[in-house]
Amino acid sequence: MVEQHKEEKNNAAAGLYLKPWLRNLMPLCGLLAIVVVFAFLTDGRIVQPRNMQLILSQVYVLMIASMGVFMIMTTGGLDFSQGSILGLTSIIICKVSQYNILLAIVAGIVGGAMMGAFNGLFHVRFKIASFIVTICTMYLFRGLCEYLTTNGPIAATPDVVALNQTWLKLLLTSIVLLIGFLVFRFTRLGMDLRAIGAGETAARYSGCRPQLTKFFVYVAAGAITGFAAFINVIKVGSITGTAGSQLETQILIALVLGGLPISGGAKANFSNIIIGTLTYCVLEKSLPMVFPVSATQQLVKGIIFLCVVALTIDRKSLRVIK
Amino acid sequence: MGEIVLRSEKLNKHFGITHAVKDVSLSFEKGEIHGLIGENGSGKSTFCSMLCGIYPISSGQFLLEGKELKAKTLVEANRAGVSIIVQEMGTLSGLTVAENIYLGNEDQFIRHGIKNASAMNRAAQALLERYGFGRINASAIIDHYNFEDRKLVEIVKATYFNPRIVVIDETTTALSQAGRESLFEHMDRIRNEGNTIIFISHDLAEVIEHTDRISILRDGELIDTVKTSDVTTDDLKRLMVGRELGSHYYRSDYGEPISDEVVLSAENVSIPGAVDGVNFQLHKGEILGFGGLSECGMHEIGKAVFGASYNRSGAVRLANGTPINSIPAAIHHSIAYASKDRDNESVVISDSIRDNICLPSLDDLAVKKVLHKRKLDKFAVKNATRMSVVMTGVGQYVADLSGGNKQKVVIARWLGKDSDILVLDSPTRGIDVKVKADIYALMRELSKSGKSIIMISEEIPELLGMSDRILIMRDGKINGEFLRSPALGEEDLIAKMV
Repeated sequence: MVEQHKEEKNNAAAGLYLKPWLRNLMPLCGLLAIVVVFAFLTDGRIVQPRNMQLILSQVYVLMIASMGVFMIMTTGGLDFSQGSILGLTSIIICKVSQYNILLAIVAGIVGGAMMGAFNGLFHVRFKIASFIVTICTMYLFRGLCEYLTTNGPIAATPDVVALNQTWLKLLLTSIVLLIGFLVFRFTRLGMDLRAIGAGETAARYSGCRPQLTKFFVYVAAGAITGFAAFINVIKVGSITGTAGSQLETQILIALVLGGLPISGGAKANFSNIIIGTLTYCVLEKSLPMVFPVSATQQLVKGIIFLCVVALTIDRKSLRVIK
Repeated sequence: MGEIVLRSEKLNKHFGITHAVKDVSLSFEKGEIHGLIGENGSGKSTFCSMLCGIYPISSGQFLLEGKELKAKTLVEANRAGVSIIVQEMGTLSGLTVAENIYLGNEDQFIRHGIKNASAMNRAAQALLERYGFGRINASAIIDHYNFEDRKLVEIVKATYFNPRIVVIDETTTALSQAGRESLFEHMDRIRNEGNTIIFISHDLAEVIEHTDRISILRDGELIDTVKTSDVTTDDLKRLMVGRELGSHYYRSDYGEPISDEVVLSAENVSIPGAVDGVNFQLHKGEILGFGGLSECGMHEIGKAVFGASYNRSGAVRLANGTPINSIPAAIHHSIAYASKDRDNESVVISDSIRDNICLPSLDDLAVKKVLHKRKLDKFAVKNATRMSVVMTGVGQYVADLSGGNKQKVVIARWLGKDSDILVLDSPTRGIDVKVKADIYALMRELSKSGKSIIMISEEIPELLGMSDRILIMRDGKINGEFLRSPALGEEDLIAKMV
C-alpha cells in the first residue's frame, strides 16, 4: 500500500493531477524560495540594491538569448550553439561598429539569423536530430570565433561602450521580451509551436507547417541572439575567443529552472523565460557569497539544479528529444 | 456454478477526481470465457489494468484462488498466472519476435550471464508453429511485421506459459477475419484446458458468440453479470447504456438520388506500394463508403484526398479545378480528415481540448493575425458542447479522454471549421454503441445539409448501413462499385474484397 501511495504521489508530482495554476506557480515559488534562502544565508546582502543591480546587469543577455531557445524547445528541439553564435555575432558587431552603430546592430541580427538558418537547414532539411546539429555548430562557430581573435581581442568603437547605461539595457530587453510575448501569445505562431512540440504528426494533420515553422524558429533564435550580442558588446567592449561560451548551458538550465518541460509542448509558458533567467542569475550571484571556494560553488550548483529538475520535471511527457 | 478462480472485492480506482472503478466485486469461474462490456470510459480497461499490476489499486483487492494477488508489475502478474493482451501495441519495437515473446522471462535461456539467442529463437519458433503462426519468423525484428502479425505475437506471448487468467482487451479490432478465427480457436483451447479468459470487446455479436458469461460495467460500476445464453445484443445494449436504444442505428432510407454536382475528383491517384491509379468522384451531399481489407490502400486514399501523402502522383481536384496538394491547402478549401490513427494523427494528444479544436481554424479566428484567448475559449466550448464531449473543461488534456471522447473532439474541430468535405477514416473504431449512434446521426445530418463525406471503414455493416455509394478496393485498385440498396448484402462486398 505504501508503494501505491508513493506512485500516486509521483503522478501528482509529475504534474498530471496538479491544478494547472498551481503547476504554473511552481517556478515562481522556486525563485522566491531561493531569494529568501540566500537572503538569509548572506545576512541580507543579496537583496541590497547594489547587488540587485549586479544581478540585473547579468540577466539581460541571458534573458534575450533564452527567448529564441525557448521557442526552439517549445517545438521539442534543443540548441547548444547559442553561446558560439553570441561570440561570433559579437565579433561581427565590434567590426561593423567601427563604421556605424545602427549598421552593427543590423549586421549582428542578420549574421545570427544566417547561423540559425544553418542550424535549421541541417535539422529540418537533412533531418538530423537538433542536439547533434547544434553541438556540431557549437564547435564550428566557436572555431571561427577563435580564428578571428587569434591576434588578440577585438574591440568595439568607444561610442558603443558609452551606451553602457542600465536604463538603455533594461529598455531594450523589455522591448524584445514584449515583442516576443505578444507574438507568442497573440499570433498563431505560439499555438503552432506548442502543438508541434506536443505532437508533430498531429500538428501537421491540423494544418500547421512543422518543417517551415521549425526552420523559422532556428532563424529567429539566431537573430535574437544576434541582438543579444549587441547588449553583450555594450557591456564588455571587446571580444575574446571565448565570448559567450557556456551561454548555451546557462540558457538550458535557466529555462528548465523556469519550468519549461525539456520536451516542450503545450506546457511551455512565456513566464518560464523571465523566472528561469532571474532564478539562474540570483543563484550565480549568491553562491560565491556563501561559498567562497569555487569548487564548492560548482558542487552546490549541481545539487540545486538536480533537485529543482527532479521536483518540477514532467515525467509523463518525457520523450526522445527531436 | 463452477469453481471460482478469481474474485475482485470492493475494488476502487481513483484518478484524481475521477472515480474510474467503483466498488466492483466480481467473480470469474474456472474454465470460462467471461465477457466484460461497457461504454468507453466505463472502467473495463482500468479494471483489467489493476488486475495485471499496470495501475495500482486504490482500495479493495483481487483474490486469485483464495490468495490476495499483489502484482505490482506485469511481470509479477505473469508469474502469478495472469496475463493480458492490451488494446494498444504491446510489443517493443527494435527487438526480435523471440525477444518480445520471452520479455521478462529470458532467465531460462541465460547460462553464466550469457543469453543463448539461438536457443531462444528455436523455442519461440516452435511456439509460433504450435499456434499456427509459422509464417512469422522468430528471429526477425518485430518491426518487420504489420500491426496484425504483432498482435498474433502478443497472443503467443500472453498465453504460452499456460496462465490461469488471460485478459484480452479489445484485440479483435486489430485483426482480420482469419486472425480473429485463430484467436477464437485459441480462446476455446485455453478454456478447455481449464483456464479463464476475460474478454473485452465492443463488438457485441462477437461477445455473445464466444463467451459463457458477460459482466456489464457502466460509469465504473458493475451493473450485472448474465449468462450469455439468456441475452441478446439488444439486452446488452440496454444494460450498457442504461436506456433503450433506437433500433435504427444506421439510416433507414433507400433510393434517395445522389446529386449530380461533383465536389471533388481524384484523377489517376497512385501512391507507390499502396494505391494504383484510382479515379473517383465525390458528389455533393453524398456519403461515399470505401471498403476493403485493411491493406487494400483505402486508408491511403483518405490521406491522399487530404493532401497528406508525401509521394502521391495523379491529382485531387475540387469542382472548380483547384488542386489539393498539401494539408494547409486541403484545410483552407474546407476538407476535413479524421485519421484511423487517432492518437497520432487526429489529435495532438498532449495538448488541451481547446488547442485541438482551435488549431485548424486559427486563420479564421484571428482578427488581423491577432488571436484572442477569450474568443478561442468560446469557440472551443461551443464546438465541444455541440458534440457533448465529456470533460472537466476545455483546458483538459486530450490524453486524459476516453477513445470515444477523443473522437468527439476530432469531429468537433472539423464542425468548428465548417468543412464541406469530410474524410472519416474508421470513424467508429473502438467506440461504444452510444457514441457510435451519435456519430452516425451526425453524419446523416451533415450529408442532408449538403456536406459530402468519404467514409473509409473496415466494418462491412457500417458501410452497408451508412453509404449512398460504396467503392470496394483490392490491391490498391477500385474493384467494385455499389449503390445503396436494401438488396445489397455483406457477401456482395466480400466477394469484391478478396
